[in-house]
Amino acid sequence: MSSIFTGAIFKQAGTRLVFGTLLLVLAGCSGTKNVLPQANFPIPLVDKTPITMGIHLDPALREYVYTETVGKKGEWNVALGPVQVELFNNLAQGMFAEYTVVEGDAEPIGSVEGVDAVLRPSIAELQFALPEQTRSNYYEVWIRYNFQLFDANGTLISEWPLPAYGKANKNDFGNSNRGVEAAALAACRDAMAFFAINFDRDPAVKQWLDMRGTPDT
Amino acid sequence: MSTHTDIYRSRVRWVLALGLWTLFGATGCVTATVQEIRQSATSMADGDAIVVLGRRNRPSTTQTELDFVDCVSRNMSGGSNSVAVISEQDFMDALFPWFEPRTAPLASGELPALLQETALAERISQIGLKYLVWVEGNTRRISQGGSLSCTATPGGAGCFGFLSWENDSSYEASIWDAHSGRTVGRVSSEAAGTSYVPAVVVPIPIIARVQASACSGLADQLKSFVQNEG
Repeated sequence: MSSIFTGAIFKQAGTRLVFGTLLLVLAGCSGTKNVLPQANFPIPLVDKTPITMGIHLDPALREYVYTETVGKKGEWNVALGPVQVELFNNLAQGMFAEYTVVEGDAEPIGSVEGVDAVLRPSIAELQFALPEQTRSNYYEVWIRYNFQLFDANGTLISEWPLPAYGKANKNDFGNSNRGVEAAALAACRDAMAFFAINFDRDPAVKQWLDMRGTPDT
Repeated sequence: MSTHTDIYRSRVRWVLALGLWTLFGATGCVTATVQEIRQSATSMADGDAIVVLGRRNRPSTTQTELDFVDCVSRNMSGGSNSVAVISEQDFMDALFPWFEPRTAPLASGELPALLQETALAERISQIGLKYLVWVEGNTRRISQGGSLSCTATPGGAGCFGFLSWENDSSYEASIWDAHSGRTVGRVSSEAAGTSYVPAVVVPIPIIARVQASACSGLADQLKSFVQNEG
């Protein structure tokens, strides 16, 4: 009897051990993944536009987090907002003779003193893909920025989208968090590069600069 | 008792010997080929530097492995006849945004137009850049076979089976003169090898270091190429 009783206990304990282990494994597989890119963006090496630019970074941009549930991989949170501050500070430092960060919320800008124009970027959309989803070797991130340029009186000069793309080879990164992070930072650099080279090629921006007598860079 | 102890000690020595052999001696065979095409004379003076960049322009879906580019850079900056090498990341940051995947020149003929950018030309002069080396290619697993199974019991553990796989590395480096904006030559490196893992209780990996062989071959040839050593 005692041996049967002992056997039943072992059997029950063994079942619990297996189920608990299985839960732990599943929790590890389907847990939340938080991607928190740490940036070190370079300053663009371009001829500076001789204007004083105000950079308006509203809370929606600075606190941007993209959340997606990826099948059995669980929930992914890509916190891209915090790196936008360094991104646009470095971008402005390289592109404009002078710049300043303009505080404020998402309401219309209004007139701003001490600047020639105000640039307001925003992230309209973000998508990412894992190698398992695309059957490739790459983590990929797509970001669609939207830019608005206002003159010092708050009048809209131009508005344009900027799609950016970044990818990272899975063989270069030890885990999926780091892979997505690398792809996200690559997409941010892509956006910076395209903006730095093409800012004054937007027709409305070019016309505004010409009216100011500002030479194209 | 002493017989069992002797048998146990013998087995331990055997496993240790196999482990040391695996660690230091058991590498698979690799067949490697390096070729060079020279279009202009080259030379490196004191203060000159080169940069090795991996091709990752769009819309190509491939991307040269970061660790391969890093391997070539390290090998070129070390050993005999070493040259001054600027790291890929430092170069891309210093010349941002001109060598990003979206903006990098696709052909050497685009360099002169790029060098019209005053700030860019000054920065290239500051860092002493003489040659850009663009590396494209990758290492692929082209076949694999066999199976390996391992078991663990209270009485012991072991693996049985046989695995093999073949890797193929193919890379080509284009060397651009940073001042004239011309292609001065090309160096290609190909390597192939088969790795094996036979297992009779203990798996014995015999790894063919294909990518490493391609890297060292390419780096050595590039070193002699940029210093015009035939």
